Amino acid sequence: MAEKTGRVSGRRELEELIQTCVSIENRQFNPFLLDISEALRIIRRHAGSWKTLGDNLLDMRAITSLARVVGLQSANLRFQSSSLFVDPGMVKQKVESMSREQLAGFLLLSWHPVVELEQLTEASTKEALDYWQKMLSFFERRKRLQPGPFDSPGAMDTPELARLRVLEEKAFGRRLEDLRREMKEKVGEEGRVDYWTFVRASNFAATVLRAQMVSFLVSYGMAMLERKKEKMWLTPRDPPFSTGQGSPLSLPIPIPMEAVVPRAK
Amino acid sequence: MLFFKRGRVPGARSWELKTGLGKEYLKVLAQLDEALKDLDLEVKKVESQTLSDYKPGPDGEEEMRYFVRLKGTLTPKEARMTGWRIDNLAALAACMSLIVSKQGKSERKELEQIIGEKVGRWRALTLTDAFLRSGYLEEDEEGLMKIGWRTRAELDLESLMMLIAESKPRGAIVEEEPGEVAEATEPLEVEGPAETVEAELEDQASTDG
Repeated sequence: MAEKTGRVSGRRELEELIQTCVSIENRQFNPFLLDISEALRIIRRHAGSWKTLGDNLLDMRAITSLARVVGLQSANLRFQSSSLFVDPGMVKQKVESMSREQLAGFLLLSWHPVVELEQLTEASTKEALDYWQKMLSFFERRKRLQPGPFDSPGAMDTPELARLRVLEEKAFGRRLEDLRREMKEKVGEEGRVDYWTFVRASNFAATVLRAQMVSFLVSYGMAMLERKKEKMWLTPRDPPFSTGQGSPLSLPIPIPMEAVVPRAK
Repeated sequence: MLFFKRGRVPGARSWELKTGLGKEYLKVLAQLDEALKDLDLEVKKVESQTLSDYKPGPDGEEEMRYFVRLKGTLTPKEARMTGWRIDNLAALAACMSLIVSKQGKSERKELEQIIGEKVGRWRALTLTDAFLRSGYLEEDEEGLMKIGWRTRAELDLESLMMLIAESKPRGAIVEEEPGEVAEATEPLEVEGPAETVEAELEDQASTDG
């Protein structure tokens, strides 16, 4: 039992060690924050108790991670002894305290832009000309794709574009206003109309579209939606409208196919 | 071969030069370097390990890439003509100094934060992307940002780090050494046309990739 508990805690220690090493590799901590001899002691302490392949792999990962941290420490020392070494914290402070002009000035004093020319040369022009001359014509290349007869371009009028839903026939605001007026005409003496009676159209797509438009009417405060048990009523409002009058609640309304059927029949 | 850009990165690889100029291409490059001095240009050799597009030469020899770059540096007035805005220059300086101080790698968030303090958060995001596209920065497999090929070719990082390490806040310098600072901190056009810089970086990026 004690051996099993030891293995569990050993695994946890190695996983923590690996996590620390990964953080160091990702430049989140200074590599010298990790005590290598202590880390090795932990690995050694548990080395004898590993029996499964998974545990041995974990042990190997810990050693490899530790080796990478040692490599980083070595690189860090080499870097610190080079002329490029500056403490990151100090650099941050310096950069924060400097003005943009100062920083830009320093960059300019160390900047030697590379010369890059992009223009035609005799060789590249010749190559391009060869390519152009060898290239098949557009119609030849099109034949290979077998797209069928070539349709000549034609004109399309606004109603046709509206039919294809490329253009809207009416502006959105105008459509909302029309729908509000229609609702107003349909309300009875109660001043309200049944939701489904109003929304239902000749086919499913049109019903969905009307339901969507009604949702905008309600959101924009142009109509009010009341719900009592199974029944829902719409009450049109008169201008001026404000979004503050809109419904603060979101009310999901499923549109079943049956909702359309009665009128379709 | 060195001046004209073929593909994403300008300059030429050592094996390309060897093929074009023969075995003695290094001597030719030395002569070219001498001739370019009059134009304030120089031939810059960048080691293969520091280039992202490294491929070993056909005969297995160590690969180098050669560029032609400005030998001297640009004055603020000349820099203005390149279309670079002061924000971009400052952001690049801040970026590079942080990455170098962190031994060549840094988290993107940290870079964006340090640039954001100077130029604002949204601009920091676009500038980091622009630096990546133009080759000043590169992203490794772990998502860490490192110095890109263009930085190796164009920037004298030792000089930049020295200048930043020795710098003092602007007010302090003006009080103590007014003569010395005049050149380094001569104000550039802060509110320059944004589109010119973006265009410059975008242009560089689009031609690169």
